[in-house]
Amino acid sequence: MARIVINQKLVTKPEELVRLCPFNAIEWDNEYLQINAACKMCKLCVKKGPAGVFTCEEEKVEAIDKSLWRGVCVYVDHVDGDIHPVTFELIGKAREMAAKISHPVYVIFAGSDILTKAAEILHYGVDEVFVYDDPELKHFRIEPYTAVMEDFIHNNKPSTILFGGTNVGRSLAPRVAARFRTGLTADCTILDMDESTDLAQIRPAFGGNIMAHIYTPNSRPQFATVRYKIFDAPARNQEQSGKVTVCHLPADKLQSRIKVKDVKKKETVQTIEDAEIIVVAGGAVKSQEGLALCRSIAEKLGGMLAVTRPLVEAGIADPRLQIGLSGRTVKPRLIICAGVAGYIQFVAGMDKSDTIIAINTDEQAQIFNVAHYGIIGDVYEVLPKLAEQLGA
Amino acid sequence: MEILVCIKQVPGTSEVEVDKETGVLKREGIDSKMNPYDLYGVETAVKIKEQTGARVTVTTMGPPQASEILQEAFMMGADEAALFTDRKFAGADVLATSYTIAQGIKKVNIPDLIICGKQTTDGDTAQVGPELAEFLSIPHVANVTEIIEVTDKSIVLEMDMGHSVEVVEMLYPCLITVEKGINVPRLPSFKLKLATKNKKIPFYSLNDFEDKDEKKYGLNGSPTRVLRIFSPEANADRETWTGSGEELTAKLVKKLKELKFA
Amino acid sequence: MAYKKIDSKDIEFLVSVAGKDKVFVGDQIHETYSRDEIVHAGKYPDVVVEAESTEEISRIMKYAYEQEIIVTPRGQGTGLAGASVAFQGGIMISTVRMNKILELDDENLTLTVEPGVLLMDIIKFVQSNDLFYPPDPGEKSASIGGNISTNAGGMKAVKYGVTRDYVRGLEVVLPDGRVIEVGGKNVKNSSGYSIKDLIIGAEGTLGFITKAILKLLPLPKVSYSLLVPFPDLATAIETVPKIIKSKSIPTAIEFMERSAIVAAEEFLGKKFPDKSSDAYLLLTFDGNKKEEVEDAYEKVAHICLEAGAFDVFISNTQERQETIWKTRGAFLEAIKASTSELDECDVVVPRNKVAEFIKFTNVLQKEIDIRIQSFGHAGDGNLHVYVLRDDLPAAEWKAKLTKAFDRMYAKAAELDGLTSGEHGIGSEKKPFLEKAMGEDYMSVLKSIKAAFDPKNILNPGKVC
Repeated sequence: MARIVINQKLVTKPEELVRLCPFNAIEWDNEYLQINAACKMCKLCVKKGPAGVFTCEEEKVEAIDKSLWRGVCVYVDHVDGDIHPVTFELIGKAREMAAKISHPVYVIFAGSDILTKAAEILHYGVDEVFVYDDPELKHFRIEPYTAVMEDFIHNNKPSTILFGGTNVGRSLAPRVAARFRTGLTADCTILDMDESTDLAQIRPAFGGNIMAHIYTPNSRPQFATVRYKIFDAPARNQEQSGKVTVCHLPADKLQSRIKVKDVKKKETVQTIEDAEIIVVAGGAVKSQEGLALCRSIAEKLGGMLAVTRPLVEAGIADPRLQIGLSGRTVKPRLIICAGVAGYIQFVAGMDKSDTIIAINTDEQAQIFNVAHYGIIGDVYEVLPKLAEQLGA
Repeated sequence: MEILVCIKQVPGTSEVEVDKETGVLKREGIDSKMNPYDLYGVETAVKIKEQTGARVTVTTMGPPQASEILQEAFMMGADEAALFTDRKFAGADVLATSYTIAQGIKKVNIPDLIICGKQTTDGDTAQVGPELAEFLSIPHVANVTEIIEVTDKSIVLEMDMGHSVEVVEMLYPCLITVEKGINVPRLPSFKLKLATKNKKIPFYSLNDFEDKDEKKYGLNGSPTRVLRIFSPEANADRETWTGSGEELTAKLVKKLKELKFA
Repeated sequence: MAYKKIDSKDIEFLVSVAGKDKVFVGDQIHETYSRDEIVHAGKYPDVVVEAESTEEISRIMKYAYEQEIIVTPRGQGTGLAGASVAFQGGIMISTVRMNKILELDDENLTLTVEPGVLLMDIIKFVQSNDLFYPPDPGEKSASIGGNISTNAGGMKAVKYGVTRDYVRGLEVVLPDGRVIEVGGKNVKNSSGYSIKDLIIGAEGTLGFITKAILKLLPLPKVSYSLLVPFPDLATAIETVPKIIKSKSIPTAIEFMERSAIVAAEEFLGKKFPDKSSDAYLLLTFDGNKKEEVEDAYEKVAHICLEAGAFDVFISNTQERQETIWKTRGAFLEAIKASTSELDECDVVVPRNKVAEFIKFTNVLQKEIDIRIQSFGHAGDGNLHVYVLRDDLPAAEWKAKLTKAFDRMYAKAAELDGLTSGEHGIGSEKKPFLEKAMGEDYMSVLKSIKAAFDPKNILNPGKVC
């Protein structure tokens, strides 16, 4: 479809041109300048290079008929029938996007003994829930689940399919995308629908420092995965709408070379480095009770407790919970610093966190220099009320 | 037993920024390294080799200088290597990359077990493993957190399902992608560096592949396009709140809800 | 000699100089100002002033000199020998607010800073300008004023030397309040006594450093580390002189034992890539080209293998370097977390005597029956030996500690070593310095102190 063409006659300073490419995809072999396999088609060389040296040539390809593909579909993410909440968030987004192009909203649900659960989805404003209910689908195994998706896509030709960015979604979506030789964009943070039915997919790239807008111009269906808590789930309607359609696959399609031998509860000990949400008890939290309060708030938010050095030195807290230059470095999505002074020792271990909230009575406290939301107040006034409200 | 590990060369640092005015990528230095997630894959393979005497092959798709990371894998205990390189692979997205690697692996030999890292630090998609398995028509398990047993015919492992862990047995040939915590990758050994100094690494290009249809490789074989790249809006909020304990708590709860933490 | 006690008039004066919000009295004084990293049973100063300029410090010193009030200079308080603790009360002047980088002179390759700038901020700042400030003590949150006052060393001393080698000039407030400048941006200096070199390492007893001109180098582009496993510590350390003899100079040579690695792993919750052996050397090489650095390390790798190393592991990426050096950096905190109390001996011995000293501490540990852990800079002969209290009762701990210290310092002297490699004398190591150096030497030190500070008001009781 497209390639970078180099006009060798215009090449004057090849060593400099080589440096144009951030991916080392331009090579100079002492005679010719060439593009190698590292090229990502970012076209920086075209934009930044001297005029005419690099050009991007688009080849015409036969366009597919996009009107044959209708419907915005959501894959029901579940383990053993427990529907992951990301599914409803995706349904909300699918409804919004489908409305723009007057497509139906489909849901695909594969599992064992799931009919009642499928009916529940009809409270969320979808048009049709396709159910594949079979004992062979009790556990997520890749071959039968891929076969289900293949059967569904062949029969219904949806334009877009959304998967939750869970371990299941991130295993199944690429497998199905490859089967249909189509595009899949992982971990989208923004989705929108063009009139052309092309899905506008925006995702972080290069470790989150850059956003990339990606689309799938000439393949269908188009696939995207989205993490939990990116979109809002719609409210549950009193009434049901739409319908449940039960589908079947022949037994030979449900075979697998994988056998599930045991399902266990996850018991790995989480460390504060891995925690996405952290509540830090600082020097102002002097007692075991205060520490317990911070811990309970952390747990209610689904996160972990951490501490500053004074609490470790006072012997109240485990050194493995200590954040700082001489302790552990953390980069959670949310960090609430309760009664933390914010000395450099501490700040150096957490200042890369996405959202920093600090509570301290001293408005001069250094922690407020890094906090996004600074709460001037007493931790013992704010925290107990917070715990109460989170518990309710 | 034959094990194959797919690895990738990535930029030495992930600190990439976009020039706010020109929208152009700024990248300092040009050093590169083995994708950190792949180190866990190589370690998993070498551990199995130590137990069973398996032979470990490492492969990568990339420019000729990507053979550096194959040499590094030798220094960690890999036995053989292969590089898939061709200018025609340029501009490949996940699909074209997976297809290229699948074609390359068919050329080298389909092993009993293929191991991939969970994801790469530059692409971050975690998709190549499952797509590769599809193109090779073999089963896969992603998010493997532990290898429990390796037998002649199958591998027993733990798969992370979010809230639970499943113990599954998978027959060969098959593919797994391993999680970061599965082991502690060893450092490259100088002794192995000396021992493998003269090891040859075969290069395979499109002409060596069974499917020579150029439309399936590189940018031509890529269904997705990057329309543009831009800097994300940083969280530039700096707010200070004062008030009574009740007011502050109410504000905090509201903010936590807004940010979807509560 | 009797010093004047602080009264309300003195406080009034300090407030008039520095402003109300920078003067702290009584309960307002933060707990950290009562101690340093090791000396916890310290004492609060009567008043803390967070000074903001040379002029403020000069005025306070002049007043204190006239009134005969003790002044203790204070940086970040990360010292290990008590030099920044106000054992006798008085005024503590903290440089915490004097944290500005004043000038980067890229024609003379110097950096001019206020004393309160943190080492980590200097490292970061010069790095972003492709420059390099080599002194590399483990505690990166220390202030540069403190680093200069103890002549801090650190890991890279093998190749690059210590803080003293990177201080070109200083601005110093003398005990009576006069301000002098010593050194400057000049590369050479043969102009009489080097007051600058006396101030460096004086631990704030001769003058108060208010500005420093540091020497910078171009930033090396490539850095590799080698982790070398050995069957035992003796074999590991005995290899060091052979490496030094080879003339391919590593940036750093550290030694570590498995027990320290295990403690740091536990403390950090991070696994170290290898702990199958009892002892390790950790070497770093830096340079501008990959090939150049590889050549250097290969030569040393062969020496290690010939000396009995099991293998030589190569760390060449950001992640690998971070895991290894983060672990190395956590040794002190990890050892601290593993016991109730500890004290440290920071002797330095000639590099070919390190093995002998370490063997001695192993014997000592059994003989006195107390836990002793050590790690340190094998490449420069500076050892960090920690004596751990664990659950010993106070009296027994004191007795055993004294015994262990007496024996270790005596051993260091026997091996032609010195009392402190990089942490200084402060208050805690004074008896050992006196014993090691003798009366004649100490009397010269005391005369120097008297020449600067005839009333003995600036950080008295430290060093000599």
